[in-house]
Amino acid sequence: MNLAEIEAVKARAVASAMDAANAQDIEAVRIEYLGRKGLLPQIMKGLKDVAPEDRAAVGQGANALKNALNAALEKRLSELKANATHEGAPSAFDATLPGRWRACGTMHPISLVIEEAVRIFSRIGFTVAEGPDVETGYRNFEALNTPDYHPSLDNQDTFWLESGELLRTQTSPVQIRVMEKQPPPVRIVTPGRCYRRDTTDATHSANFHQIEGLYVDTDVSLADLKGTLAYFAQQMMGPDVNVRFRPHFFPFTEPSVECDFTCHVCLGKGCRVCKQSGWIEIAGAGMVDPRVFERVGYDAEAVTGYAFGMGIERIAMIKYGVPDIRMLYDNDVRFLTQFR
Amino acid sequence: MKVPVSWLQEYVDLDATPQELADKLTFSGIEVEGIATIGSDYAGVVVGEVRHMEPHPGADRLRLCRVFNGTEELQVVCGATNFEVGDKAPFAGVGVTLPGDFKIKKAKIRGEKSFGMLCAEDELELSDDHDGIMILPHDSIPGTPLSDILGPPDTVLELEITWNRPDCLSIIGIAREFAALYGTSLKIPEISLNEGTAPISDFVSVTIDDAAGCPRYTARALTDIKIGPSPLWMQRRLSMCGVRPINNIVDVTNYVMLECGHPLHAFDHALLSENQIVVRTAASGEKMATLDGVERPLTSDMLLIADSEKPVAIAGVMGAAGSEIQADTETVLLESACFDPRRIRRTSSTLSLSTESSHRFERGVNVETVDWASNRAAQLMQSLAGGFVATGILDVYPGKREPRQIKLELARMDRLLGVSAGVDRVVAIFESLMIPVVEKSPETVTVEVPAFRLDLDIEADLVEEVARMYGLAHVPDIIPQAKVVPNACDEPSRAIFSCRDKLIGLGLHEIMSYSFVSESLLNIFTEEDQAARVLLPNPVSADHGVMRNSLIPQMVECLGRNHSRQITDAALFEIGKVFWKDSEGAVNEEDRVCIGLMGKVGCGELEKRRTVKPDEVFLWAKGVVEALVSAQRLDKDTLRFTPAEHPYSEPGEAVTVKLGDTPLGVLGLLRKDLRHRHRMADPVAFAELPVTPLLGSVFTNPVFHPIPQYPAISRDVAIAVDQNVSHSAILKVIHEAAPVELTGIDLFDIFTGEGVKRGTKSLGYSLTYRSFERTLTDEDANGYHEAIKDALKRELDVDIREG
Ligand SMILES: [Zn+2]
Repeated sequence: MNLAEIEAVKARAVASAMDAANAQDIEAVRIEYLGRKGLLPQIMKGLKDVAPEDRAAVGQGANALKNALNAALEKRLSELKANATHEGAPSAFDATLPGRWRACGTMHPISLVIEEAVRIFSRIGFTVAEGPDVETGYRNFEALNTPDYHPSLDNQDTFWLESGELLRTQTSPVQIRVMEKQPPPVRIVTPGRCYRRDTTDATHSANFHQIEGLYVDTDVSLADLKGTLAYFAQQMMGPDVNVRFRPHFFPFTEPSVECDFTCHVCLGKGCRVCKQSGWIEIAGAGMVDPRVFERVGYDAEAVTGYAFGMGIERIAMIKYGVPDIRMLYDNDVRFLTQFR
Repeated sequence: MKVPVSWLQEYVDLDATPQELADKLTFSGIEVEGIATIGSDYAGVVVGEVRHMEPHPGADRLRLCRVFNGTEELQVVCGATNFEVGDKAPFAGVGVTLPGDFKIKKAKIRGEKSFGMLCAEDELELSDDHDGIMILPHDSIPGTPLSDILGPPDTVLELEITWNRPDCLSIIGIAREFAALYGTSLKIPEISLNEGTAPISDFVSVTIDDAAGCPRYTARALTDIKIGPSPLWMQRRLSMCGVRPINNIVDVTNYVMLECGHPLHAFDHALLSENQIVVRTAASGEKMATLDGVERPLTSDMLLIADSEKPVAIAGVMGAAGSEIQADTETVLLESACFDPRRIRRTSSTLSLSTESSHRFERGVNVETVDWASNRAAQLMQSLAGGFVATGILDVYPGKREPRQIKLELARMDRLLGVSAGVDRVVAIFESLMIPVVEKSPETVTVEVPAFRLDLDIEADLVEEVARMYGLAHVPDIIPQAKVVPNACDEPSRAIFSCRDKLIGLGLHEIMSYSFVSESLLNIFTEEDQAARVLLPNPVSADHGVMRNSLIPQMVECLGRNHSRQITDAALFEIGKVFWKDSEGAVNEEDRVCIGLMGKVGCGELEKRRTVKPDEVFLWAKGVVEALVSAQRLDKDTLRFTPAEHPYSEPGEAVTVKLGDTPLGVLGLLRKDLRHRHRMADPVAFAELPVTPLLGSVFTNPVFHPIPQYPAISRDVAIAVDQNVSHSAILKVIHEAAPVELTGIDLFDIFTGEGVKRGTKSLGYSLTYRSFERTLTDEDANGYHEAIKDALKRELDVDIREG
């Protein structure tokens, strides 16, 4: 047997050792190669037939075969021993047993909606801006053209703190922070937590999440706003969803609109979800009031802009069919694990 | 606001279904929240006259009545007490079906037969009133069908009036909108007053001390009036608008307020000292009892209506106790005025007292029609309560102003809206809204702001008027153009998203809790932090009385809640803000990530039945922290876990976590009593880390290191060592003895018990040796390995286990 043949035998022998399923297999492999009638003694016997100049090399090869196989058998035996201590007796191959790998966790539905919304707006050039939950009355109200005698300044709706600050009632103060810091253009979305003194029920929660958007530039129109919200609606709720505007009032936009999305369940035919109207109210929006621009030092003659805001919980409830906002804050594992 | 369509039709001709009307309003900016039908044909319900009444022999609270239904007298058992013999009321006899499919049957009530029912308003679905039966006018004829008296059913539109449109808080205001929307005209009622001979100056003088607070005040007087119920038609309208009828004078003030938006106030003139009205601010320390019987402390910016001695009303909010119209009032003083909205707002807010009146004044009323409202009310009072109207109106009007003009640039408007309505359309819109156009050209339109439109101030306000009347459906939706804003940076939020992704990848479920917690919950965890807590001065409930200063208590509550629902294993995390107060009282906030592990979450599938030891759960949580830190591209090898006391843990069961020198938070096992509250038998581990230090390296570039060229050799060492020798102490000895060729140390076995000496543990390490310059020989590896074994024996007195 020449050296190449011996190498081939070695490879085969080590492979059988690694495949051994139990101690009996290992013993069988050992006997096959190293036993008295095994392959190795035969090779040794055949040495005398090898050309003298090759004899030493072939002898070393045979020795290496022996060492390698012994090592492989020993390693396999200890593996099998270790396995046996962890899992009991080796069993027959059963592909129907449950798979064994840790499953991924799940994202909270509120985070799911926030991250999805941010991704959608990122695709059209919006970046995220954030601000603190504890805000000044100035940024939460006054800078947003909400005069100091506006009803929403009432203790009824706002959590004022002993420090004289408040828990922001909307994420709009972030818009003010950004505009105070940065000249136009501005193209931001602001997801975040807000607070209002609502008594908790199936659709109200004293803390909730909003995402707002602001785009300020030299020539921004209501039509741009409508197109942007239509794009968002389709990306978020489905390709057949459209938007419509209804006039409304917000202190910091003029004109102001409320934006309805086509009901994604019935696609406008009318169903229980949309109370038969075919539409679902989702967003408040409008063109930034020039008085807001003046507050932050922008030239209200030179720039225009739109702003919009949406409730995250509301979108989550509508999109996933969650009937009660309190479920979002109850954190029952059987609820959480549904949002994969 | 509730608007009965039949009332609306007095001022504007409407030829549309209620749904069409509602859509028209909604899409022009006044949202119709509901359409209600009030009343029905009331088949079978007739006017009944109570002919006789006596106590029910078997029940104190019931009465036996004999009711004449136009053809016969029937016995009826009745629980109401608000009527007398001779009163007329709606009567439903046996066989009649009332709204809500309520069928009247012959009944026996406490042993007495009853052949029908005298109805309350709520039983007829006319209002929510169930304080007694509905009393019909005295001249109603028994047997007349109720529908003949009440008229056909009415439709009521329920509107949401936005804060900027106080002019729409009236039937006429809504009628004006409809007139503009349908291109028809608005019909304002003609007023003809039959004034008497006595001049108004005989009854009252008016002084305004605070003209800024009260731009206009008018007074009228009516003498010899007779107080009584107002007619049914007026009562019905008030009820449909949610206002409760009281008497003819008060009802007229409310009726006119609903009609034109001006709150009015009627005083009993006899209670007015020295015929004087003074509009003044409250003196400091002054007090007043209001109509609702509450004694209210006044502050010096509150506006009062006073006579020469005492306040008779808090201006625009509520009258004084005792100043109201009495059953025997003969002379009425009628106030119609205009007050500064801010002052009324502040007063109403300070006193926590909101009325129909303050609701309108704090939004603003039309100063120009203050006198119209007074005249209208005087006319109605005279026709309903008789008497004489004193000649003239006392009108003090210090705040008269010239109307303002606003110019609209059409090109700018078109650019803002993204659509052009054209100058003719724009002018037509303003004229339909009764906003006079004073100048127009192809480029600009200038309007004069009418006194009823308090919201029109700048050009943008006119743009809004055009947009809502032209129709927002005309605005196209332009496909958004992505735009890159230079220097925009959202790495902080993307870093948090990445942190969240990593934790989810590690198998944890995200939770979200309220930012508020209850003080009692925090106190159960610890009372040490009380001084730093941020309390809410006006919480919705005590359960939400304080801002959370840690995510852990709510995490534990969440685990406990799940545990009580038979979910015994959970690995959860939350990313959220905590709040605390510093020594100066300033409120701080910080994003944190909290991890909570409960039950056998770290066990393999087939070992869920075994008992989990506390240190195991701790190490799972530690593993999550290490994996997170590593996944966030931070150097996990610089993490330090130092034993420390923590109030949420038993002594010795918590560590502080540091990354290099940066404090990273806390990791520990939950105190037993906190677990036992929720009957959790298995240990619970928690960790809380500030988010910011975890985010710093997310966007750094990974740096390539060459992959080793030469094979490695690994050697195992099994050692028996004293229980108290820590893993890290062993690592330290190995590292100190090791050559640079030692590239890996893996702990592969920990064992105590059989075959291991008491007080010691057996540890198995696999050491990997590798050179970056050459292939190591067995001899090299053996040499390194022996040196390390020697060091372990020498430094830690370990037994090297052979085998
Ligand atoms: Zn639908």
